[in-house]
Amino acid sequence: MALKERPKPFLLPEYCKGCGRCIDACAKDCISLSDQVNSLTGLVPVVLDLTNCNACGLCMDACPEPYGLRPAQEGPHQKFELEDPAKLFGVRPSDAPDPVDVPAQVLPLPATEPLVIKGTYASAIGAILAGCRHVYGYPITPSTEGAELMAKFLPKLDGTFIQAVSEVAAVNMMYGTAGAGLPTMTFTSSPGFSLMLEGVSYMIGSELPGVFVDVMRGGPGLGNIAPEQSDIKLACHGLGHGNTQAIVLAPSTPQEMLDLTILAFDLSFKYRNPVVILSDGYLGQMTGKVKLPDTLQKPGIPKWAVYGDAEHRRNVISSIYLTESDLEAHNVHLNSKYEAMGSEVRAEAYLCDDADVVLVACNTPARTAKGAVQELRHQGVKAGLFRPITLWPFPIEALRAALEGATRLVVVEASAGQLEDEVRLALSRAGVRDYPEIESVRRMGGILPQQDEITTRVLGRKGVLA
Amino acid sequence: MSKASVIYDKFDRHSHAQGLKGHATHYCPGCGHGLAHKFLAEAIDELGVQDRTVAVSPVGCSVFLYYYFDVGNTQAAHGRAAVVALGHKFANPDSVVVSYQGDGDLASIGLAETIATAQLGAPITVIFINNAIYGMTGGQMAPTTLMGQNSSTSPSGRNISNGQPMKMAEIIAGLDGPIYVERVALYDAKQRIRAKKAIHKALRLQVEGRGYSFIEVLAECPTHLKMSPEETEMWVRDFMQPVFPLGVLKDMTVDPWFKRNPPSFDGNLILSLTGATYEHPVRHCEGFPTHLAPHDISLKLAGSGGDGAQTAAMLIARSAINEGFDATHIPSYGPESRGGTSYADVHVAAEEVLNPGSPNPQVLIAFNAPSLAKFGPTVRKGGVVIYDSTVVSEAPLLDPSIQVFPVPFTGIATDLGKAVVKNIVALGALQAATGIFPKETFLTAIRVALKDKCALIPLNEEAFAWGIKSVEALRP
Repeated sequence: MALKERPKPFLLPEYCKGCGRCIDACAKDCISLSDQVNSLTGLVPVVLDLTNCNACGLCMDACPEPYGLRPAQEGPHQKFELEDPAKLFGVRPSDAPDPVDVPAQVLPLPATEPLVIKGTYASAIGAILAGCRHVYGYPITPSTEGAELMAKFLPKLDGTFIQAVSEVAAVNMMYGTAGAGLPTMTFTSSPGFSLMLEGVSYMIGSELPGVFVDVMRGGPGLGNIAPEQSDIKLACHGLGHGNTQAIVLAPSTPQEMLDLTILAFDLSFKYRNPVVILSDGYLGQMTGKVKLPDTLQKPGIPKWAVYGDAEHRRNVISSIYLTESDLEAHNVHLNSKYEAMGSEVRAEAYLCDDADVVLVACNTPARTAKGAVQELRHQGVKAGLFRPITLWPFPIEALRAALEGATRLVVVEASAGQLEDEVRLALSRAGVRDYPEIESVRRMGGILPQQDEITTRVLGRKGVLA
Repeated sequence: MSKASVIYDKFDRHSHAQGLKGHATHYCPGCGHGLAHKFLAEAIDELGVQDRTVAVSPVGCSVFLYYYFDVGNTQAAHGRAAVVALGHKFANPDSVVVSYQGDGDLASIGLAETIATAQLGAPITVIFINNAIYGMTGGQMAPTTLMGQNSSTSPSGRNISNGQPMKMAEIIAGLDGPIYVERVALYDAKQRIRAKKAIHKALRLQVEGRGYSFIEVLAECPTHLKMSPEETEMWVRDFMQPVFPLGVLKDMTVDPWFKRNPPSFDGNLILSLTGATYEHPVRHCEGFPTHLAPHDISLKLAGSGGDGAQTAAMLIARSAINEGFDATHIPSYGPESRGGTSYADVHVAAEEVLNPGSPNPQVLIAFNAPSLAKFGPTVRKGGVVIYDSTVVSEAPLLDPSIQVFPVPFTGIATDLGKAVVKNIVALGALQAATGIFPKETFLTAIRVALKDKCALIPLNEEAFAWGIKSVEALRP
């Protein structure tokens, strides 16, 4: 039997950190620390004297460095000194193919009668039609029905619903699935959304899509489970640490819960960024008429994804940029995306053209405000409703147009002024100086402004009746 | 040992692979991470799964795992690597997902994710590097720091007030989810061979779709232990090992089970799940019930959980939408799961429901005395109140313009043999008292709602008819 020749070790001193783990691994005492500092590394490497070496290989097994002790006959790097440094030092080489885009498909959906479903169900069905088959969540009232419907439907569609150990785990499962390039979403409510924000920041940093349906409830703290517009500030200006922004959509009907969820997935992939849907406790639970679209989507695999296949092996999903200039460049890139998202503004202006009094409201309070507009018009007051559908970016140009000729601006909201702050910030950023003093109708604690409160506020000031 | 082909030819470190950093890891001399990396890389090579592998880097010294592994890479938030790994695994069940984590990441900040993922048991591979110290943040106490061991946050040695070290392999092995748990070390040639084999096996079990495996590696951190690499090896052997004994803690024989079909995008299947109907329901209304209100009718149904107020409210909304109107229904519950309050606000509008709440309803259906007492006075003048006269002995005094219909919902339903149909009795009473929609409109909605429980349809139809009869009997 021919004796298999085993290789002896080889070492480029530049790649040795001198830890010495190989020294005691060698039974033949072939290895010792050098008495000289390597001028390139500033470290003291080991030196090999292979006179007694029997090529047992244990020293190579003990070396923690991939390019440390290696078999002597191996590889081109043995001829390190003879190679062109430009060829040796450069971007990470890999034999993986260039990543490819597997395109998404749009498939026809047969026409049906409208569904009569609650807001969270509409959102869940919207997500399914948008191609989402991976949902992770933690039960929290009043959002839970969305997760429950997913838990029921997804196994039948060979999808995945996982009830995570916490919202923190849920958002990070989303991070994984989004990293693999697939649509993913969660249902949560205010306290749960707070918990998810770490993950949202990571998703934004790593440029991952994902849809968060936050069915807002009363806060702060445990608060209660009644509707409040408590997370506008959080969604528009507080998505975790760092330079974070996401498109924030505010539906006001079960139909919009479906439509805007589908839109959210589109936007999320278009910008490689999370999208937040701010619903409220009423809207989440509210049953209404919901028409289905005539198409559904089958997702592809984007070029950037880490799907776990050869075509996407090259990719890295990460938000770490250790070098300051790299991180600054990354933030400049994120800012350019945020700027581009400015084109996604959406708003509804209802009877604003000739309005003296413009109400501003979103979510369920916008429905109530619409009722108030009708009532006020009935009483001869030229009232209108401006309803931002994107809260971030704020549809400032549309608001500007709605305010044309208006003498009063009344913000109607179920929060302590979070929507008003968005209005003020948007006006300020747009350099609008000349606008009516902002009046407000605010309820908190899970109470929504009622129609008569709005009409009383508007009518309560003298000289407004037509 | 030859460099596995899974290790990049050049390390794209923050130096962008310039200079010597292109071939040297960022780990300190003598660090155990390099060896664990090599063993993992070799296992990936040997199993031929490089293309399918997704490595999840943690936060900690191995945050830059992706510098070295020529596989799909994802970098996770601190402590979350295991659940990020699950997200990848579920997205692509064919992928081979490795969650590589240190002791702070896995055993402290990520404890909930670690345990829950292990118990879930989905086939991923977790490599846990335990070096008894925080490396990247600079030598603070780890959950695995030994009793008496100095660290910058246990400067006079870990003592009982810091709690005792977490024995993760034992904890994980005590769960039902994992199939293979082993603790290995790197301090001598024999241990290194065992470690390499364990990592290979842990990965193989995943590739074969058998389950979750967990390898705890006792690793050296000479820098923060303030010892030479050789002394650190001896420290692991002599001090760590007695606290964290080596060996296989769990090794179950499990047949491959993790196989998933690709998700379905069959529109008809989705529609059937939603209960969508294709045919336009027959309309029975001549037009909007303007005798109640010109555009928008506001109703409230109130009772306690189990009375069926929400189902009745849904049926009213469904009936309205079948007739081409708009409708909304908002439920509101007390904190109790059963027996607490259960209210429903319903609106029916000719065009669009603008204001979906019913603080002042035109129609109130009350299933018990507290509901009647609470909401009776909120009913608008000229409105309608229907209540369950079986359980309400005395109605409160209401505005004389309000029509009041005491109907024994519970009594009728009980006589019919099923108390749960009292809400359908109430709907019959609503129909007769208000004429909001024709009888057939309600009956259609009821039949559709019961399409999977056809046997119950006659009983519900009877309950509905009795509700109508009761109201008619009250009329002069």
